[in-house]
Amino acid sequence: MPAMTISRRHFNRLILGAGAVAPLHFTRTAVAQPKPGDELVVGVWGGAQERIVREHVEKPLLAKYPGVKISYVLGGTPERRARAYAERGRPSFDVIYLNIFESRQAVRDGVTQAPTAAVENFAHLYDVAKLGGYGVAFNPVTVVYDKRKASKPVTSWKDIWNPEWKGRVAWPSYPGAQGTAGLLMSAKIWGGSEANIDVGFQKIRELKPFAAIQGSQDQLYGMFDQGVADISIEFGSFTRKYAETRNPNIEIANPVEGQAIAMNVACITVGTRNQKLAEEWVNLHLAPACMMAYASDIYYSPTVKNLVIPADLRPKLVLGDDVAKLVDFDWDTVIRSQPAWSSRFNREIAG
Amino acid sequence: LSPRPPAGAALAGPLLAAPVTLWLLAAFAAPFAVVALLSLHDYADPFGPLLQPPAATQFRTILGDGFYLKVIAETLALGAGVTALTALLGYPLALWLVRLPARWRPLGFAVILIPLLTNVVVRSLGIVLLLAPDGLINQGLGLFGVPPFRQMLFTHGAVMIALAQVFMPFMVLALYDVLQAASPRIREAAESLGASGVRRVWLIELPLSLPGLRAGVVIVFLMSSTAYVSATLLGGKKVWTTGMLVWQEALQNLNAPLAAALALVMTLAGVLATLLVHACVARLTPWRSGSGPRSQGLTLPFWMLRLLDLIGPLLGRLLLAAALLLLLLPLALVVVQSFNDVPQATVAGFRAFTWRWYERALFGGAYAPSFLVSLQLALATGAVAVALALPAALALARHRFRGLSALSAFWMLSLSLPHVAIGVGMLKLLQVFTLLPAFAGLLAVHVVLVLPFAISLLHASAEQLDRAQEDAAASLGASGWSRFRHVMLPGMAPGVAATALMSFLISFGEVTVTSFLTTARMTTLPVRIYAEASFSLEPTAHAVSTLLILATVLILAVLNRLVRLDRLYAR
Repeated sequence: MPAMTISRRHFNRLILGAGAVAPLHFTRTAVAQPKPGDELVVGVWGGAQERIVREHVEKPLLAKYPGVKISYVLGGTPERRARAYAERGRPSFDVIYLNIFESRQAVRDGVTQAPTAAVENFAHLYDVAKLGGYGVAFNPVTVVYDKRKASKPVTSWKDIWNPEWKGRVAWPSYPGAQGTAGLLMSAKIWGGSEANIDVGFQKIRELKPFAAIQGSQDQLYGMFDQGVADISIEFGSFTRKYAETRNPNIEIANPVEGQAIAMNVACITVGTRNQKLAEEWVNLHLAPACMMAYASDIYYSPTVKNLVIPADLRPKLVLGDDVAKLVDFDWDTVIRSQPAWSSRFNREIAG
Repeated sequence: LSPRPPAGAALAGPLLAAPVTLWLLAAFAAPFAVVALLSLHDYADPFGPLLQPPAATQFRTILGDGFYLKVIAETLALGAGVTALTALLGYPLALWLVRLPARWRPLGFAVILIPLLTNVVVRSLGIVLLLAPDGLINQGLGLFGVPPFRQMLFTHGAVMIALAQVFMPFMVLALYDVLQAASPRIREAAESLGASGVRRVWLIELPLSLPGLRAGVVIVFLMSSTAYVSATLLGGKKVWTTGMLVWQEALQNLNAPLAAALALVMTLAGVLATLLVHACVARLTPWRSGSGPRSQGLTLPFWMLRLLDLIGPLLGRLLLAAALLLLLLPLALVVVQSFNDVPQATVAGFRAFTWRWYERALFGGAYAPSFLVSLQLALATGAVAVALALPAALALARHRFRGLSALSAFWMLSLSLPHVAIGVGMLKLLQVFTLLPAFAGLLAVHVVLVLPFAISLLHASAEQLDRAQEDAAASLGASGWSRFRHVMLPGMAPGVAATALMSFLISFGEVTVTSFLTTARMTTLPVRIYAEASFSLEPTAHAVSTLLILATVLILAVLNRLVRLDRLYAR
């Protein structure tokens, strides 16, 4: 039998041919159906969120595809993102959950896929939830405060600058969803913008001295409990849960300028070997059962328009017109400027 | 005439030093090299190649920036403060432990190890509730009509207390072994010459325990100057440490080069500090080197001795009480919280009794599998660490050879490199790392993190061995192996036990590096709890910690029946 030989030129042509055919792998028909033994790896936050997706996404998914396995990598967003970046193209994750600005950046960086209608419930998403992955929950950032310490209800972001709060502000650390919202809103309401952030920094500096710099919602709630601080900028969603179960004195403002958008985003990694299963996962997350669990358990607002919400729950969520009022930003600029801004924040605001 | 050393004796040192060196070359040199290469990148590019033309840009940025220099200086000062505090509180504690009747010793150990058994997030919350405006300390002061201190939280002092609490076990264990080894004859001699208890401590036990103190000081300083989880939780971002900066630059800003350079600057500072401590201890213990000019060692003026005689006993008791309170108060909060019917773990004050968190810890959720992963990993880490560190310690104590000093500096390097940076280095190696079986990969890294402690503790232990016993055995015809088996090993048993325990606990609690490397099938318990805290922590974590503490007390009690935790002749 003659030995099989390939000339270099022939080989190159083969490679080119393979390259030309390769995109076909990404067309719908080429996506393999899930089969028993497949393992979907999901990177998600721990605690209540892990519990909800286990109950309302994993269970129905296993019912639909018996024999597949769901595994979780638990952690905070920064660790998860750093890992996904390090593994770009050959991910160990199939689905990762990110915040709004990280998710859009991750799509541009080729780490995660842009959303497509291959996920059935994609059709029901609000437009703002169709960018950088599949928005699965709105948890906008707003002003939260101890109403006993307020001479009148807070109705504007500008109220933070009222003299009555001097020395009582717990400013959120930057970067991070709350700190980013705080900085961007400060710039915006005082005449600046993402492109003119200086205004924001100057106004935040006026608030010094701070009662504290808060690094997480848990930390802030401890500060409120202990009377360390009286006003801050935080996710309204879980703060409402906190106010109801722990500290009825805390009020969640709905400022005239709108609440700053923040969103949990489910992202399917580029290079996943479980494309179909990942899409099914996201689809089930967007299905009514999971959306309702998020809404009723931790007051995260639905990103789909087709959900019927009980009347008693409606005032606690951001729905319909309020979604349109959410303040969005030019996340390109925000992400690009983050290193410079965080360096400035560390020097001028914190410490 | 000295007897000729047996053939092959020259090889003993390198052979003993080989296992640990090989392990570190395989598992630590690679991430460290990545960190070194990253620090020489001109600018951050998350997807760029690792090998780039070297540039000093990052180091110039750091050295030319007052903010970075300030944070580095403050971090080193914090480390020094924590070290001083742990030494001050740890010493009376170690003396107390040594003098405790053998029957009660397991309980004593458990008290000291409690902070290591308590998850870092849970522990920090305990300190928050201790120092808060309505916290335990202020409530206690209120009973005496003292107005509350409202500014204790979110300060360097708060971070220092939190770090001192968790690093105290390292200091105490390092001291315990050498204090334990001091021959009772020395004490009897001092007593017969009329030395008071205080003088005995100052003039005999303290100088003799300096090698242990050295190990403790180096370990605590390096750990506290690279810490970041406690610093974040208790400093409230008003306190900045380099560990926090490294984390922020590497993860949030994806600026790995700057993070790597910062980590290396800290490593250098750590190595210099270690050398300084070694030089100081060498000066204070001239009898150990046996060469060079004989200096006076540690002496105190007469008036100071009188003063110490007067206030010493009281001061010692006060410090011991403070140390025990610092260890036990947060524990009380952890136990109380584990039965507390509250929505989140950060709630202060007791509301109602519930078993809910225990139910969830034991049966609900995935705590049990995570616990098993952590347990297996920690047991394996403890065993491997002792197996590797024991020969290394013997090389350091007995078979020194040219180049060993440099080699031992390499062994300690993983301690002075902020652990976040090891994680960042591992990120670049994830593709290789994920080829390994998940358990083996985590084990390799955990052993790396544990080795510096294991070597330090066992080195101090090996140096305390009584050579006369070995000579006696040798004169009776015991071979090298049987001398090791029947004389040295039993002599080092407390050190080995302490090392194994310490390695187990460090591995069991490790979260900084593991959170970068955890895979879907291998989520350790601390990573699970840390992940939960990234959203909102529930008291399940407290229930888990309480169960662990209970289990440890029981295990130590059983262990104490099988292996005595003290030396033969101290009984």
